[in-house]
Amino acid sequence: MNNKLGVYICHCGGNISDYVDVAKVKQSVAAEEEVFLAKTTMFACSDSTQKEMIEDIVANELDGVVVASCSPKLHLLTFRAVAERAGLNKYNYVHANIREQASWAHSDDKSGATAKAINIVKAAIKKVRFAEPLTPIRIPTINSVAVVGGGLAGMRAALELSSLGTRVYLIEREHFVGGRVSQWDSLFTTGETGKELITRLYNELTEQKNITLLTGAEVTGFSGSIGDFSLKVRITPRYISGKCNPGELKKAIEVCPVGVADDFNFGLTVRKAIYHNFPGEYPQAPVVDLSNCNRCGACEKICGNIDFSQKEEVIEIRTGSILVATGFDPYTPADGEFGYRTCDNVVTLPQFKRLIDMGEKMLIFKGREIRNIAYIYCVGSRQAEGENKYCSRYCCTSTIYESITVKKKFGNIHNFHFTRGIRTYGKQEILYDESSRQGDIYLQSYEDDPPAVTGRNGKAVVTINDILTGKRELEVEADLVVLVTGMVPRNDNPVGSLFKLPKGRDRFFNEIHMKLRPVETVIDGITIAGACQGPKNIMESVNSALSAAVKSYSYVSKAEMELEPVVALIDRDLCSWCGACTSACPFEAIRKENESGKPVAAINNSVCKGCGMCLPVCPVNAIDLITYSDREIESMIDALA
Amino acid sequence: MAVVNPSFGEELKKYGAVDFNACYNCGNCTAVCSLSTEKDSFPREMIRFSVVGLEDDIKSSLKPWLCYYCGECTTHCPRTAYPGELMMSLRRWLTSVYDWTGLSGLLYRSLPFSILAFALTTLAALALSLGLKTDLPAAMHYGHMFEALAITGVFAAILVPNIVRMWWLVIIRPGKKVPVANYFTGIGELFVHMFTQKRILGCDENRLRWFEHFLLVIGYLGLLFTTVVLDWFSNTSLLVTGFGYLLSILVFSITMIFISERFRKNKESNRLSRPSDWFFVIWLFLMGVSAFLVRVFLDLGILANNQWIYFLHLTILVQWALIIVPFGKWTHFLYRSFAIYFNRILAEIPDK
Repeated sequence: MNNKLGVYICHCGGNISDYVDVAKVKQSVAAEEEVFLAKTTMFACSDSTQKEMIEDIVANELDGVVVASCSPKLHLLTFRAVAERAGLNKYNYVHANIREQASWAHSDDKSGATAKAINIVKAAIKKVRFAEPLTPIRIPTINSVAVVGGGLAGMRAALELSSLGTRVYLIEREHFVGGRVSQWDSLFTTGETGKELITRLYNELTEQKNITLLTGAEVTGFSGSIGDFSLKVRITPRYISGKCNPGELKKAIEVCPVGVADDFNFGLTVRKAIYHNFPGEYPQAPVVDLSNCNRCGACEKICGNIDFSQKEEVIEIRTGSILVATGFDPYTPADGEFGYRTCDNVVTLPQFKRLIDMGEKMLIFKGREIRNIAYIYCVGSRQAEGENKYCSRYCCTSTIYESITVKKKFGNIHNFHFTRGIRTYGKQEILYDESSRQGDIYLQSYEDDPPAVTGRNGKAVVTINDILTGKRELEVEADLVVLVTGMVPRNDNPVGSLFKLPKGRDRFFNEIHMKLRPVETVIDGITIAGACQGPKNIMESVNSALSAAVKSYSYVSKAEMELEPVVALIDRDLCSWCGACTSACPFEAIRKENESGKPVAAINNSVCKGCGMCLPVCPVNAIDLITYSDREIESMIDALA
Repeated sequence: MAVVNPSFGEELKKYGAVDFNACYNCGNCTAVCSLSTEKDSFPREMIRFSVVGLEDDIKSSLKPWLCYYCGECTTHCPRTAYPGELMMSLRRWLTSVYDWTGLSGLLYRSLPFSILAFALTTLAALALSLGLKTDLPAAMHYGHMFEALAITGVFAAILVPNIVRMWWLVIIRPGKKVPVANYFTGIGELFVHMFTQKRILGCDENRLRWFEHFLLVIGYLGLLFTTVVLDWFSNTSLLVTGFGYLLSILVFSITMIFISERFRKNKESNRLSRPSDWFFVIWLFLMGVSAFLVRVFLDLGILANNQWIYFLHLTILVQWALIIVPFGKWTHFLYRSFAIYFNRILAEIPDK
């Protein structure tokens, strides 16, 4: 019990003292028996007052301090630091808010405000009597990070973590790294291709001894908490061993009788059951796609390296932190949405990008040369009716870049952009300028009056009520319509529910605070990066990847970490395990344990956030929250009553 | 339903339009234009029509002629899309649309063709002068006759039919119902603007430009009257002689200023001069100067020994009368005034 307390009543300029009689507050609280010293001050937060408090605490050996001032959101940490600098434990400081809760709220009733302020300070005095010095909870951390997703963001994060000296497990579900970026050809602003970017990252990755790259690897199990997570990873084999003879391999692929729609080209082409997406893809070894293979054995006869005896295996990885970079899916338009799948000449932006990459001298689609291209923007983004209210950020820039590329590569092409306003923000604006100067035509409509696509004589006719031409109805006869599809969360992403990552209204993974904590999730120790968090372009993805890497590193780098000691505490004598607390806990911080034969609840201190949800559900009142114990709260209530 | 036609923009570039595709429809040009009104709003609309290729809408529009190219729009364009020059090139294009012979378009689009036309007329004038070399009085007589005939012929065969075509394109084809009486009530507008160009005063710049232009028009028309009707080169009246001197000096000094401004590119309207702009001012200058010199030589009594000066003047005159007046920039004198006249007539019919 602390009984030599210092109490400071702040004027806050006039913010408090204009309505609350601070002298009277001081007078009434000074009478409390535990109060050794009570003072008023013009600004408690000022340097000089802070110094004075430290001197008071040291000289008088005070064992508890209350400052009655503004909201704890503003200055709790300030005065905790004052207590610490005076050699007092910071939890022996209690904050009383008499500004937001008294002076400002009751500026029309000065005496009432004063009476309320007195009660608030008295309650704080009661609470601080019970304050006990606390030390942060220290937990050991494993110095490794699992990066889930081997796309550009994941690879870049893995490299960063590795250079910081942390062991990295890079877990990629596909058999090849690079994700979406490996599918793109030339990219704004540098003109490098996606393949070049991925090649560079892959070469750096393979040079790092402390990175373990797992491909064909899917996370199937998850347990543990910050500092010590355990992941189960199922690894599907390639069914090819060692290095293949390239000639044999080529033949083996040729003889494979199975045709599968090629996801790499977004279904524009067909691949075999034994395949690699493009020559020189990483890792440079093909894969037998067993789910589509009919085991005819034709390839085995040609290439000795094909080995169907390889078995799927599940490995366990223990890691201090997890960085999730699982990326996005391109939006798939509904059948009939702007003629998709109902009109012959309609493709999506990702398909168009692959078409340009695959075209050599002419741009060909379904055997016909393309001259007039209509781009319909914001398909699947900024939806007036649908769920996707957000802007996908990359598509305006990407489309305009492709419209410039397609003209440069194939010449003699007319581009018609059906937009809802161009958003080539930042440096990307120069692309818009370049494209319009090269003669591209931009038409615009509102979301409630979108363009329409109909087929006519083997061509697609796009009509629009162009708001830039006084809402005149204009039409373009296009050889190809490109639906500028945005980004959506990955459809098949079990990692989210496995890790219990919260999702936003847009269904992408959610950070804690968009501005101030942009890569952390409410699951301590798990960070998010890249487009799994929301639409991002490559620059933005790499920014967030580096940020998440450093954040994850900060959890694991010191071999142990400190956590706030404000957690729930179980009275093991009272508890007889009914399980009510564990179902009330939103963080899965309570587990069942055996206490000399008796089942009791146990708190996982590294997961408990001190929210207090378990307290009221306990039928035997066996749970207390440190710093908010029943006796502290009850004494405060007594003071207020 | 109109079809977007990007090739129209390509065509327009042959008439001098530059970078108008860069327009992002902010409308600054229209906002800063001191001649644009709510009813006759330009240049943004014209730029938009040009970008999407609404050829028919432009053909029936009088707006290009309502602009006097002060260049404020180009100065304020955040995309450097040269809206002023687009309006200028629309005037060139419209001139070629109105012209039934198609020669106007050829001359605007092709510098080689223009040079060929000038070369052919030079040869013709040369042949004529060789044929009449020994007989200066006969040459001067035929020269004078040519002037009168050329004016009548060009008007009858080219300019009047073209004005009718313009009328058909802007009033009849779009189906505007104009009561006949309106043609008479508005006729004053035609002559006021033809002879005063007072609309330039609405432009937000100094009045000097209007004054220079006004003096040039008066000087040019006066000189035309003096030479054709009063037969300046044969007239002995002191008054007429002096009058002719004054007017020719006026013509070549003002065109001198205009030429030097085009060289110096001192304002937006002079920055992107096309061959047709150069031909117009230079030939007007040459006309003034050569007419002046012919009369000086005459008055000094040395013309007979320096017949070349008259033949030079005659060559310039032939080129002016057969190329620039019917097919070149001279026509803006007519089309502008008729545009304002037609616009006035159309403004009087109530909106549906």
